[in-house]
Amino acid sequence: MHNDLEQLLQTANQIILGKPRQIRLAVCCLLARGHLLIEDIPGVGKTTLSHTLAKLLGLNYQRIQFTSDILPADIIGASVFNAQTHSFSFHPGAIFNQMVLADEINRATPKAQSALLEAMEEHQVTVEGKTYPLPAPFFVIATQNPTHQIGTFPLPESQLDRFLMRIELGYPDLRAEKALLSGQRRHDLIDSLPVKLAPERLHQLQKAVTRVHASDALLDYCLAIINYTRSSPDYHCGLSPRAGLALLTAAKAWAFMNQRDAVIPEDIQAVLAAVAGHRLRSGNTNSEAIVQPILTNVAVL
Amino acid sequence: MSINKNILLFLLAAIGLIALPHIENLPSSVTGYFYLLLSWRLVGVWKPQWLPTKLMLLLLTVIGIAILYSLHEGIFGRDAGTRLFVTALGLKLLEIKSERDLYLIIFLAFIVATSLFLYQQSIFMAAYILVVCCVLLGTLVCINSSHSKTWHSLKTAGVIIAQALPMTIVIFILFPRVEAPKWMYFNDKHQAKTGLGDNMEPGTISDLAMSDELVFRVQFTGTIPPPAQRYWRGPVLTQTDGKRWTQNRIDLSQPIDQPKLTGNPYQYILLMEPQDKNWVFALALPADVSSPLRRNSHYQLVTSANPDKRTEYRITSYPTYNTGTITKDEYQEATQLPGPASANVTQLVQRLHGFDSPPDKFISQLLNHFKTEDFYYTLTPPLMQENPIEQFLFESHRGFCEHYATAFVYLMRVAHIPARIVTGYQGGELNQVGNFLDIKQAYAHAWAEVWLENRGWVRIDPTAAIAPERIEQNINIDQQVANGIISFTPNSASAAVDWLKNARQLWGNVDYQWQRWVINYDNKNQSKFLSSLGISDLKTMIYWMAGIIGLITAVLSWVLLRNPGQPTDPAVLAYQRFCKKLVVKGLIKRPGEGAKDFSKRAKKSLPEQAASIDLITQLFIKLHYGKQQNNNDLQRFESLVARFNFKH
Repeated sequence: MHNDLEQLLQTANQIILGKPRQIRLAVCCLLARGHLLIEDIPGVGKTTLSHTLAKLLGLNYQRIQFTSDILPADIIGASVFNAQTHSFSFHPGAIFNQMVLADEINRATPKAQSALLEAMEEHQVTVEGKTYPLPAPFFVIATQNPTHQIGTFPLPESQLDRFLMRIELGYPDLRAEKALLSGQRRHDLIDSLPVKLAPERLHQLQKAVTRVHASDALLDYCLAIINYTRSSPDYHCGLSPRAGLALLTAAKAWAFMNQRDAVIPEDIQAVLAAVAGHRLRSGNTNSEAIVQPILTNVAVL
Repeated sequence: MSINKNILLFLLAAIGLIALPHIENLPSSVTGYFYLLLSWRLVGVWKPQWLPTKLMLLLLTVIGIAILYSLHEGIFGRDAGTRLFVTALGLKLLEIKSERDLYLIIFLAFIVATSLFLYQQSIFMAAYILVVCCVLLGTLVCINSSHSKTWHSLKTAGVIIAQALPMTIVIFILFPRVEAPKWMYFNDKHQAKTGLGDNMEPGTISDLAMSDELVFRVQFTGTIPPPAQRYWRGPVLTQTDGKRWTQNRIDLSQPIDQPKLTGNPYQYILLMEPQDKNWVFALALPADVSSPLRRNSHYQLVTSANPDKRTEYRITSYPTYNTGTITKDEYQEATQLPGPASANVTQLVQRLHGFDSPPDKFISQLLNHFKTEDFYYTLTPPLMQENPIEQFLFESHRGFCEHYATAFVYLMRVAHIPARIVTGYQGGELNQVGNFLDIKQAYAHAWAEVWLENRGWVRIDPTAAIAPERIEQNINIDQQVANGIISFTPNSASAAVDWLKNARQLWGNVDYQWQRWVINYDNKNQSKFLSSLGISDLKTMIYWMAGIIGLITAVLSWVLLRNPGQPTDPAVLAYQRFCKKLVVKGLIKRPGEGAKDFSKRAKKSLPEQAASIDLITQLFIKLHYGKQQNNNDLQRFESLVARFNFKH
């Protein structure tokens, strides 16, 4: 079972060079059935990462480029008049795919953003009173430019909460970048990628993740973290119960990926920055720096 | 300098607040000097280069000493000591070099805060000092915590104070009181010294009519006498020069007869506010007084306790009494006249049958004369310089209680009836919340006493004849109209007035209970209270105190220990033993470090122990976080930890 996962990670690492941890987190997020938000400047491989994952998982994939004039109908689809049948028929939008890459989500207006985010939460789309279920599995990988860039509508906290994780890619290191420059075109590489983890297998793994044990002691640690964020003056507001659930689920997936049947505090610590970083507001913008006080101050035992 | 700006600001704010009430207590030179230093330090927070140099500081110290010296009071005593501390605090503020200085300043500030109690012990002051101490404590919290958010520090300080309260109460009740030696009595110059004096002339009492100042409070154990019975006897004035009435300087020998007291007595607790005279005002006629009270020959109560201190007295008074016969001295005293009466006066007495009818007839004639002739009761009578009695009787016909009383007594004496003036207070405002009476300076009153055969001294209040509402309803209409308390507007305003009155009464009650139960809780009251609990000697008192504090500590520690975070899991305890063993090697597990991360670190620095560290860690993770635990694992784990040792 874990063999497949390891192979998937290995293959992905050959495409996106020098980012094993981020890839691991991204896969962890998928295993935990969460949506992923990648925040970074353009050109560091956000799209490549999502494309690679879709390919490796054998999912049908669609990219939506968010722009300031994109409309909800562009995302979820619209009813179009059919002259032959003299009736309206629904033309599903880009969202009716197993993996959706919402590129530069914060360039769109809040209205368009919320169309996507509602679909993410409910796994279905309602158009003109009719409900259409979304395919399963359904993942959204959204990328976002740093909010200080021009022409962005920052996602509100309530919507950020819908993403299980937020990761930052960052520049590759020198060696990785050299390998990138000297290597093949990424696009060609991706096209030739084999499916490493079929959707049924993924489904099995996802089920296995939920069976990972979280002991009382671990839940206490989890609660201590949540309470710390609520009472510490470092944060404007603490983690929500939904965030607590997300943290535990992600930690379970992480423990599963590390071939453990029980979660240990290190799992929580490993995913904390990705899970909590975008849900907490403090003086810092860097996720690792945001959660650093938690890691040092909340006692494990 | 490494001291946080926030902490400094916090500290300066707290100290500024602490010294604030001292502005009223200390000479302006000292407070001015102090606040100058404080603001200098405040500016120094942003501009450290402006802080005084060593030489400058020396100069400032000399100035401070000079100010203290110029006040000519040395360094002992309440005022001098407080000045010294305030000056020292101000100087120390300019010399903050390390954290140690902050602590010193905070403790000095606590002393200055305590010194506020030497000046005022009101409930407001207590609340203020509590708040200020909270801010000071917040500064301490701020210094000692990593995050220096103001609001959080204040909250922590508040919690600390709340936790300290039960202990404070126990210690307050049980800690032995030491009666302060005489020289430590603080004569408070701020206490108002207006009030009844030992002499009276026209205007003495009407001057008091505007004063809202409290004189004493009375709580009755049984029924409260009706307003017309509320005559609080004070000094008795017998000697006159025609204008001024004074007390007889010689205390006469006690009367021959003990007064016969009959009827239902009134029993009450009287709380005298600080006074400069040792008089205690009691209802006529007080019986069975015990030390420190004494009843003098005029049946006036005097105390041997320090009148400067608020004191409580228990008194029983009988409203009906017969003082019996009169001594010769008393007779002479009570018929003294400044000179022969004028023709006008003699004529008046004659007309009212003063010389030829029995005394009680003459009294009623005279009172009737006041009532039927054109006499007015007013707070603002015309000025009567020369011979005020005749001027009042024959010209102005306008007077306040002192005019009526003096005229009445004078006429009695002309008719050879022994008579004297009694000053004191009449009435009292009933506080319905606490069911006690407030007696204020405004209720000062003067009335007459005449000696009648077979009845002894009898109280006659001529004011009652002319203005019965003054006595019955106990409202001084003149004054209230003048002050605008009563305005003749329809009911709309009366609800607000009622509300205001209720609020005032409620507050009056709180204040009264505070005075009685907190301020007046001295060693006498303490031993009384404790003996009612069965605690009679010092030893049991200390046992009780230790017992109760021990109990509180036990309860608090139970609450604290019950808190999660204290491990009880044997696996965790064993793991902690393991961690303790590693401490010797300089390996200290950080609180936020998981067992696995820690083992990685440990293995790196102790490669030869790697195997056992690994095993222990794995077992611990299995036990603590794993799905199934079995006792074998725990035993194995514990024995592994026990056997874990470093080979030397």
